[in-house]
Amino acid sequence: MEKLNKRSKLYLTFVFAVLYAPILFLVFYSFNSGDSMTNFKSFTLSHYRDVFEDTRLIVILINTVVVALLSALISTIIGTLGSIGIIAIRNRKLRNMVLSLNNILIVSPDVIIGASFLILFTIIGVKLGFTSVLLSHAAFSIPIVVLMVLPKLQEMSSSLIDAALDLGASRRDVLTRVILPFIKPGIFAGFFMALTYSLDDFAVTFFVTGNGFSTLSVEIYSMARAGVSLTVNAISGLVFFVTLILVLSYHFITNRQRLGAHK
Amino acid sequence: MKSLVRATVVILLVCALLMYTAHSIDTTSGKSGKDILTVYNWGEYIDPALLKKFEKETGIHVIYETFDSNEAMMTKIEQGGTNYDISVPSEYTIEQMKQRHLLKKIDHSKVPNLKNIDPDFLNLDFDKKNEYSIPYFWGTVGIVYNTKLLKGYDFNSWNDLWDPSLKGKVILVDSAREVMGVGLNSMGKSLNSTDSSELNAATNKLIKMAPNVKAVIGDEVTQMMINGDAEVALTWSGQAADMMYENKDLTYSIPKEGSNLWFDNMVIPKTSKNYEGALKFINFMCDPKNAAQNADYVGYSTPNKAALKLLDPEVVNDERYYPSKEIRNKLHVYRNLGKEKIGEYNELFLKFKMSLH
Repeated sequence: MEKLNKRSKLYLTFVFAVLYAPILFLVFYSFNSGDSMTNFKSFTLSHYRDVFEDTRLIVILINTVVVALLSALISTIIGTLGSIGIIAIRNRKLRNMVLSLNNILIVSPDVIIGASFLILFTIIGVKLGFTSVLLSHAAFSIPIVVLMVLPKLQEMSSSLIDAALDLGASRRDVLTRVILPFIKPGIFAGFFMALTYSLDDFAVTFFVTGNGFSTLSVEIYSMARAGVSLTVNAISGLVFFVTLILVLSYHFITNRQRLGAHK
Repeated sequence: MKSLVRATVVILLVCALLMYTAHSIDTTSGKSGKDILTVYNWGEYIDPALLKKFEKETGIHVIYETFDSNEAMMTKIEQGGTNYDISVPSEYTIEQMKQRHLLKKIDHSKVPNLKNIDPDFLNLDFDKKNEYSIPYFWGTVGIVYNTKLLKGYDFNSWNDLWDPSLKGKVILVDSAREVMGVGLNSMGKSLNSTDSSELNAATNKLIKMAPNVKAVIGDEVTQMMINGDAEVALTWSGQAADMMYENKDLTYSIPKEGSNLWFDNMVIPKTSKNYEGALKFINFMCDPKNAAQNADYVGYSTPNKAALKLLDPEVVNDERYYPSKEIRNKLHVYRNLGKEKIGEYNELFLKFKMSLH
């Protein structure tokens, strides 16, 4: 038993090493004073200074984060309410059909989604820019949120709701005091999934950016054509740290909640 | 429920704070219309200092956006919803954009600095009289090779690539026109050939090269050549310049049979909202001092004759970047061959790729 445990630990360490090695490699070279990722000359922060001096890049970085947060929020609200609606469908066939439609949106290629959004926005006259990016990110995140929230709803016994109604709770109370607290972990998971999806999406975003509004993935993609410069490393490093902070704060929040529940 | 509401409020507050920060450091906000010029360019294709200089000189604020392929750029301009004032497509795309009426004519009287451009680069087939486009950068297609790993080769001719001693050493770019061009050029044919029998002959010749081909890849080739993992590759001069800068053992050659001359040009898309500003920008970029500074930063060859005097003579006299008149006469610009012929090129290129194992 002891031996197996050791082996599985070793395996886990290996998996994490493989997953994190490229990121650490990238971050390591962002401190390189040389010009490329081939040899490390000496330590410098000049690439980070370049990033902070380039106000355009900073604005793009902030845009990316704002769009990710807002679109994740919007899609979480819509997706959560949507999945409550789906679970309320009594007809099994109809419910499955709605779910399949939801899944189709997840597997359909980004390029097609992006191109159709571009056409839609230009037809209805939405100017490409912040709004169009936000709307399309929210749109492609909703099915993911639905997928994260549904299992929690299915887990919930319907007698819980019946009991609440019997005890005189209004429909509103049932939603805010019974359903939402129960599915909260699913909601948070959906939110963070939506957040990451929005952060790393390139294909859809490319089509709907415009008028001076751009996100990091689009910017890095076109920068990389001229060979990956170490400035790209520095931005990627920054994004990695921002994500790290987000994940840690998520961890912190959920931990505190668990502690609170024990009290 | 409480925690959900709290989380929502925190997120909204963070967003508001971030947007406020972005707004305060973003100098474009608060300006509109005539004060703004939107430039849509390739990534890393201009010296940012020049944009600042332009802003200072004219008071017009520049919004700078980037794209990574001609096709993607054209899609966005064609679809509308944007207001790009300047774009920098390659020659065959300009021909297509003209056909689809996506460009505005350029008023030459407002671009006096046009006189600085080398006449060799004006009046070309894709845009006679330069009604719609002004040259920005140019370059060639050629062979980059490692002189340390391959001693005694000079790749003076395309046929050198067929040399049996190069077994498993040649890297090609994953692009139909370039590779088919090698086949056609090596037989002394035009790389704009539309004659099916010529194209088939070129493909058959290329298939004979198959044992020599190590890989058909995209931009990864840059890193491979720099690291010395590859011996010889077909590439564009700009990319070759980047490689040679990183690895001194590399050199670049334009075979004597001729090759492709590629071109990126400034155009004013139909969607432009600031035509006057766009003309000012074009004129600004044609200024010898600015063109030289830009060429120095980007590392590609400038078509600006007056700028050459201001550049490092070592670069200007380097035939790898600025080939002699004699070689230049053998360079040809891609023509837009129409959908059908391009399809044929792609199909034959696929046939060649399938002959590799």
